Amino acid sequence: MFVLLNQLRRIRRDIAAPPPVTRSSLALRHVDAGSCNGCEHELTAAANPFYDLAQYGLNLVASPRHADVLLVTGAITTRMQPALLTAFEAMPEPRLVAAFGDCALGRNLLGQADQHAGALEQILPVDLRIPGCPPTPTAIAAALIGALEQRSRGR
Amino acid sequence: MTARRAEPLAVTPVAAKGWRTACLAAHRNGERFEGLFATTGDGKTVALRALFSSPAKTRLIVCEDSDRRVETLVDAIPAAAWDEREAHDLRGVCFVGHEPMRPLLDHDAPLAAWTVPTIGHDTHEVAVGPVHAGVIESGHFRFHVVGERVLYLDVRLFYKRRGLEAAAVGHPLATSLAYAQRACAACAVSNSVAYAQACEQALGLAPDRELSRSRTLLLELERVYNHLHDISAICAGVGFAAGTMAYATMKERAQRLNEALTGHRFLFHTVRVGASDQTLDAETVARARGELRELRAEHASAWRQLQFTASLQARLDGVGILTRDDANRLGAVGPAARAAGIDRDLRSESPHLWYHRFEPVTAPGAAGDVASRTVQRALELDPSFTILDQLLAAPLTPGRTRTDFDPAEIGVGRVESPRGATICVIERNEGRLRTMHLRTGSYANWPALAHATAGNLLPEFPLINKSFELCYACADR
Repeated sequence: MFVLLNQLRRIRRDIAAPPPVTRSSLALRHVDAGSCNGCEHELTAAANPFYDLAQYGLNLVASPRHADVLLVTGAITTRMQPALLTAFEAMPEPRLVAAFGDCALGRNLLGQADQHAGALEQILPVDLRIPGCPPTPTAIAAALIGALEQRSRGR
Repeated sequence: MTARRAEPLAVTPVAAKGWRTACLAAHRNGERFEGLFATTGDGKTVALRALFSSPAKTRLIVCEDSDRRVETLVDAIPAAAWDEREAHDLRGVCFVGHEPMRPLLDHDAPLAAWTVPTIGHDTHEVAVGPVHAGVIESGHFRFHVVGERVLYLDVRLFYKRRGLEAAAVGHPLATSLAYAQRACAACAVSNSVAYAQACEQALGLAPDRELSRSRTLLLELERVYNHLHDISAICAGVGFAAGTMAYATMKERAQRLNEALTGHRFLFHTVRVGASDQTLDAETVARARGELRELRAEHASAWRQLQFTASLQARLDGVGILTRDDANRLGAVGPAARAAGIDRDLRSESPHLWYHRFEPVTAPGAAGDVASRTVQRALELDPSFTILDQLLAAPLTPGRTRTDFDPAEIGVGRVESPRGATICVIERNEGRLRTMHLRTGSYANWPALAHATAGNLLPEFPLINKSFELCYACADR
């Protein structure tokens, strides 16, 4: 256990991440609306010690009722559309919706048209766009820290 | 060394009446069931295909006009259950004797149609998903429980169905590879190589040395980052954060290496039909070799620590047991099957890839529980690191194919993905795709996961689920 913790401490030292710039936070809720699992892998990676989104006050929460931001990945299949809308409606206002990855942005979609409900923009008001196939953890961190800063400036 | 001459696919045509007899004959002959599906060319005639394999040969049993009615195989081959349910939902094929025929893809069916009825004192259902509490793919689980004990689990997937196979049809063979890749990011290379091999078999092509080296390199890079991810996920399932993060950092390093070598963290756009463009110069392969040796040492050290972490180990033993018999019966594949003692790995029967005298490894004791599946991942990392070290001993140049045997209309590709045997069957019309069927290791293993969950406590499910770590995307397609 101590060896593991030492390895992690060494990585943190080597990376020398910049200190957080704000004292606020955003609670994130993820909904996979038909992704290839790439976006999920990279969102999970954004929590690893190399990126450590938690240090900026960016935390994934278990329920949409606790969330400020809805991170929507995938092509928005017709089969996932109802569950996506339920999750959105459960969120308290004000709420942000992020189109996470190229599929959610409606770019380069593959599949049958009748299985797709359309780009996220046609279904929910999109506030944040995170392009990439999938977006890299660096791009995810930059977009979410940007949203956090914008929000704390707006207050 | 030149690649061995490929064994062309053995195609056995049968009439609808002879379907069951032919399939059961193959089964009794010791050939392993590897998938069944229905296709339609004109929208009216429904054809059936069943794939069986032994180390010596791959055999496709085809029934060109099923009249949508054949006898079922599930009583003799339970591994065909999901395949038959899918063919029923997609193409309306009636499998006589498959009772009750519960919907698999059809989400409009009423609850009573797709759940298994459980009766008795205090039994109740717990419905979870399709949206889950963590960063997890979408799917619905319906647990039938008494108190906290799971009696039965109904897995209802296909929320992420994008219709990739149908949409791939009609494009040039080379273009349609993108659809196989899109099925799943974590198995992108495996699915793409299975598709490319299927096309090449149909075109009568065999890869040269550089092409098989390139693909094997990509497949093993994919396996390494996936296995590191899986160990991290199992630690997360127990709530052991130090282990989760230690393995997440190793996975990150592996993905950064992917990017350095191929330009993409998930190795996208690296596989082509009939060729490979990949070049790696001497300096790049030397650097990659060094990084992999460091990763290997770090894994060895972290793994030793995990073995001596009592709070982790206490949660793994005896949980989510999949016995060897059940694994065989349900057609489990990959690390999940090997952890149950089945020493089968498609890498030992892949003449078109760079695996020489590959011997499958199985976890000692092979109890088929979460502990064995965890050990299995750690054990498999070693041969993968060794293979990568050998492959990276020399620079890599572009690879090509040569004509090796007579072309055909049908081709089959079989690849050992990080989750097990992934099968791709394609049919072509000249240079264009006529049908595609992708049956991934995840698809094969979902019924085994549901079976292994029964009898356990409901709160153990996330851990059991992570010990299989199946993709939803490449089952849904």
